[in-house]
Amino acid sequence: MTTVGAVRELMVKRLEAESLDGEGRREMEMALEELDVMWEELQGQAALLVRENERYAEFFQYAPDAYLITDAGGNIREANEAALELLRSPRGEVVGRPLSEYIAADDRVSFLSRSVGLVLGAMVNPAAWRAQLLPREGAALAAEFSVRAIPLKKSGVGGLCWLMRPAT
Amino acid sequence: MELEELKTIWLDLRAHVDQLAGERQQYYDFFEQATEAYVITDLYGTIADANGAAVDILQRRKRYLRGKPLAALVALEQRSEFRRRLRALGSREPGAERSWRSIFESPGLRTDVELSARLIDRPGGPGGICWRLEALA
Repeated sequence: MTTVGAVRELMVKRLEAESLDGEGRREMEMALEELDVMWEELQGQAALLVRENERYAEFFQYAPDAYLITDAGGNIREANEAALELLRSPRGEVVGRPLSEYIAADDRVSFLSRSVGLVLGAMVNPAAWRAQLLPREGAALAAEFSVRAIPLKKSGVGGLCWLMRPAT
Repeated sequence: MELEELKTIWLDLRAHVDQLAGERQQYYDFFEQATEAYVITDLYGTIADANGAAVDILQRRKRYLRGKPLAALVALEQRSEFRRRLRALGSREPGAERSWRSIFESPGLRTDVELSARLIDRPGGPGGICWRLEALA
């Protein structure tokens, strides 16, 4: 039995002990039934959200493209599997680090100015650009970046979602 | 006393639902508003979801797409080849390709598409496939 069910049962018992007239009792029972329905609806809503969260979070993780989510400070909050492969780094090393650390020095200033502009709500032109990506191991590689604003999980404040593709 | 307890339980669940809704928004926006066209299927290619960009390529309503085999949207002459590749991908056959070209058909329209796929890993094994569809000029 759910906690709310137990509380409801207690209330029914108390009702039985109280000297309510027939109408008062009926009204109270109807109110309790209504509460049951609302409770079930709320639980259903929670279950649906959990399933949807799992599906969309799973999609982020296994999208065929490399995606990163950064916060207003440019630090990486999330990285999917394809991004970790591209950066050749384990998740523990990537999350929390500034994305700019993975950008070659020559491209870093331009990269940072675009990022700051985006965080401040400016339009970026062009919407996609190239920069040299520095994976943890191996040589730098030319990558195409595109970015869009996205609300961050939990806080809902603005973050940036980066799509990175090896340039062809 | 019981009413107080009930109120607390109620508010707790409400807060939980609000938190879930907030968390859902990030991933939902990520999927739905992506400029790339993405489709999520099970291992047999049955569509669970398609984002707005994928709907544009497939030229079908989202409601129509859910529950349909992705293979059913592939041009007839390429369907068996698509299924063969899908089986190889889903069963992790060595050398199974993750990217190939195909033709998608909707009433009055044929679209050349570059498909890229990635398996969704779950603790018990692959649990589905994430697809990117790129319409070729």
